[in-house]
Amino acid sequence: MKKIHVIGIIVIAVAIGAIMTTLGSTSTYASFTEAAQKPNTEFHVVGKLNKDKETVYDPKTNANLFTFYMIDNKGVEKKVLLYKNKPQDFERSEQIVLIGKCTGDEFHANDILMKCPSKYNDGKPQEKTSGAKPAA
Amino acid sequence: MEIEYVGERLLPGQLGNAFLILSFVASLVAAIAYFFAEKDQLGTSWKNTGRWAFRIHFISVLGMIGTLFWMLFNHYFEYEYVWHHSNTAMPMRYIMSCFWEGQEGSFLLWIFWQSLLGLILIRSAKDFEAPVMSVVSLAQAFLGTMLLGVYVLDYKLGSNPFTVLLREMPDSVNMPLFTNTKAAADGHLYNDYLSKLDGRGLNLLLQNYWMTIHPPTLFLGFALTLVPFAYAIAGLWTKRLHEWQTPALPWTFFGVMVLGTGILMGGAWAYEALSFGGFWAWDPVENASLVPWLTFVASAHVMIISRKKGGSLYATFLLTSITYILILYSTFLTRSGILGDTSVHSFTDLGLLRQLLFYLLFFVALTIYLLLLDKQTRLVYGVLCLLIFTFLFFVPGAASVSSITFAAVSLIALFYGYFRFFPKETEEEDLWSREFWMFIGALVLVISSCQIILETSQPVINKIFGWTKAPRKDAIAYYNQWQVAFAILVALLIATGQFFRFKKTEIKVFLKKISLSFALSALLSGLMMWGLGLKNVFYCTLLFCSVFAVLANMDYFIRVLKGSISKAGASVAHAGFGLILLGVLISTSKKDIISINTSGKDIESLGTSNKTNILLNQGDTLKMGDYFVTYTSKDFEGPNVYFNIEYYSKDAAGVMKHEFTLRPRLQTSKNENMGMVPEPDTRHFLHKDIYTHVTFVEPESLKKKKAASDEYGPPSAFSIKRGDSLFSSNSIIVLEEIDTKRSLDSMKRFGITEGDIWVVAKLKAVDIKKKLRYAEPVYVIRGNETHTILAEIKELGLRFAFEKVDPNTGTFTISLMEKNSNKQDFIVMEAIIFPWINVLWLGCIIMIIGTVIAVIERIRKLKHG
Repeated sequence: MKKIHVIGIIVIAVAIGAIMTTLGSTSTYASFTEAAQKPNTEFHVVGKLNKDKETVYDPKTNANLFTFYMIDNKGVEKKVLLYKNKPQDFERSEQIVLIGKCTGDEFHANDILMKCPSKYNDGKPQEKTSGAKPAA
Repeated sequence: MEIEYVGERLLPGQLGNAFLILSFVASLVAAIAYFFAEKDQLGTSWKNTGRWAFRIHFISVLGMIGTLFWMLFNHYFEYEYVWHHSNTAMPMRYIMSCFWEGQEGSFLLWIFWQSLLGLILIRSAKDFEAPVMSVVSLAQAFLGTMLLGVYVLDYKLGSNPFTVLLREMPDSVNMPLFTNTKAAADGHLYNDYLSKLDGRGLNLLLQNYWMTIHPPTLFLGFALTLVPFAYAIAGLWTKRLHEWQTPALPWTFFGVMVLGTGILMGGAWAYEALSFGGFWAWDPVENASLVPWLTFVASAHVMIISRKKGGSLYATFLLTSITYILILYSTFLTRSGILGDTSVHSFTDLGLLRQLLFYLLFFVALTIYLLLLDKQTRLVYGVLCLLIFTFLFFVPGAASVSSITFAAVSLIALFYGYFRFFPKETEEEDLWSREFWMFIGALVLVISSCQIILETSQPVINKIFGWTKAPRKDAIAYYNQWQVAFAILVALLIATGQFFRFKKTEIKVFLKKISLSFALSALLSGLMMWGLGLKNVFYCTLLFCSVFAVLANMDYFIRVLKGSISKAGASVAHAGFGLILLGVLISTSKKDIISINTSGKDIESLGTSNKTNILLNQGDTLKMGDYFVTYTSKDFEGPNVYFNIEYYSKDAAGVMKHEFTLRPRLQTSKNENMGMVPEPDTRHFLHKDIYTHVTFVEPESLKKKKAASDEYGPPSAFSIKRGDSLFSSNSIIVLEEIDTKRSLDSMKRFGITEGDIWVVAKLKAVDIKKKLRYAEPVYVIRGNETHTILAEIKELGLRFAFEKVDPNTGTFTISLMEKNSNKQDFIVMEAIIFPWINVLWLGCIIMIIGTVIAVIERIRKLKHG
């Protein structure tokens, strides 16, 4: 066997390993309902903050606990316990992605991603121009 | 429809668009003219046309840039780009950042660099000029379409930087200025909107000096990948399969240097100004520029092999073109909006997806087309691509199937091309030869980049296969795990590579030469592992290998090259890379989050160990790692709120010593929409950095209203005896003495008269700095009434009243009032120690120096043959 063949086999083995682990990534996007069905599995849940209900952050008792209510994309609402500091500008978020597990009526999130207007990605509706033609 | 708006300046926009169209047309003309110039070798007219067209292109690019700056400088907010990316309040020193904050501006920057490189190539490419410039001009034309902003059928092609808000973007009437009923009630609003309109301003994160230098460097790096690619295409096109490498090699090294510098600057920016706690977060945007750099480095190495002995030809073509294609792919990832939520800093989606995809796939197809060296195979592949593209771009719903088909067809073509057209080496490379191990090194880099790009492409894979895989939560750990293994191999190859000779090495000689640095590295890295307490087997191996890489290259430079600088490029660059690995390894694996929550609440049981934030009340001193920290005050400076955080250390005798002050800040913006941006502050020592970052403050505490914060809160009463103490939020107060013997004269200023009885409470306040201050509230009995004379300690915001004397128990009632500003203020912050991170920065500088030496040497060789 030539050296090039040995190398080839090694490369292919590593490549398969990389592909398998990439595809085998554990987490998937889900709704609250789906997450509640598998309480021990970690999910990403996308939704919006319920601005009518209260958000609680009392850093004096625990700087790493923040609770609020989120409505997922299917319209289901759950209480969320985020084990992190309250993100700055939280109230202005347009979209939230929670990463965590669901137990009963509560969602325990250990991480959060927010989409805020005009940070990097801005989602100001009036600026999306697709569909609007220029005034001739 | 002739609307006139007061004060609207349409001239710069018209001028800008004229330059835009001229530059686009000129690049097309140049591409075509150079194409025919290659076909028609004898005449010079095509070549001259190409040259002039490209020069006109260059000048009109300058014109576009000048126009955009003109508009930005003068705040012409009628233009969408100016309105979107700047405002009047913003410091003008960030005008460069405004220029390239948006997609349009950064495309323009990219176009500028490529056109400048084109001018150099016209002068230097000699007999490669026509084909190389044809490719460069074509790339310019593609980039130009991104700025056109015209409608072709129903599809908007590009996003124009000279768009006028109200005229070409009718949706802008939804801007707050116009929807605000109060302002809209004014009938002249639309006519005179410019007098009221301010821009949205520059993203606060980008108001940073790094953003002035990082993008131009990075985009020059991007532009430089085009040059070797253009040479490779020219080589395939003109069937000069070997000759193109000689002029392409110095460009490749130069590109590696610039792109590497650009990426590292991005890391430095992230470390200094962004708040994700490190210099590298494996964010898709970061990965998207790292991956082409890795393949660029690999292509440089196989090009050396190929030039030395003619082998690895196919690999050289492949890697050179893959590098450029990966730049296009990274552009596609970061600008098409496909990354969605997975990246914190991709560009705003401008709806360029299909266009960017076409740009990418066109160059993939072109490369593979040319790699098939014979006419018939090319024809077959070309027709297949044409069919697939028609499906992909024009048949709705066929995107997934056709992109998979394209990938399959292209892969088959690549393999077929390799086996059919490229000469196989008759003789196998010797196991103990430099070229063999260099090739292996390049291969490791390629596999490493495959792993990164595969993981980064998750959103694309989702799109193609209709999956819903989420990005992994432990992404950083996951990438590190893979990349540590690759880094070990790379470091080992860097250490040993140069000690092999080309063709064949006497193994005994090799072992003899390498043994010194091997032994020294084992010793040194052993000491370091012990000193750092490093236990993980992989980390220990990497530590050894990177130390080995540094020492072996130093050894090679001293003993083999005998200190000759001109030949030392590779050794210096490799030693620098070894140092980078070492710095990354130590500062990352031994990174110490010292801001552990001391709230006492166990959050571990809740399934998380996220104890990274500490709550600091103003004035409190808490232990944090080896330090004691106090948050003393905050300062308002322009749009910034600085938090003064004092670090103390305690010596053996228990005496606090002030070490340093850190001032992390929150940048606030006039524009409510922009929110606040935290910026960390870092104390740099030679052997470690201490990084501090405010993660939460109460929004009310950021308001500057003096009146509100100066008010005293409600009193709280304490019944105490002499010598007892009471606590305010910023000090300890001791009742030192009760004085009944003050003379009437000394009390007259308080309005006390003859016949009154008075008692003075002498209070001593000790603040966190152990500074003493005194207050003396007075208890007065006048006839049947009692009252109190307040005493104040202004510096501490404290006020005292002496309310009652109880002679039976000997207790005194003192009321304490505190300013509201005293009480409420607290911050939540994170503090991280990065040990030996300076090794990383030192490595960066050394690697850059090494690459510069290599480039100079290559150019010198090129000139002197």
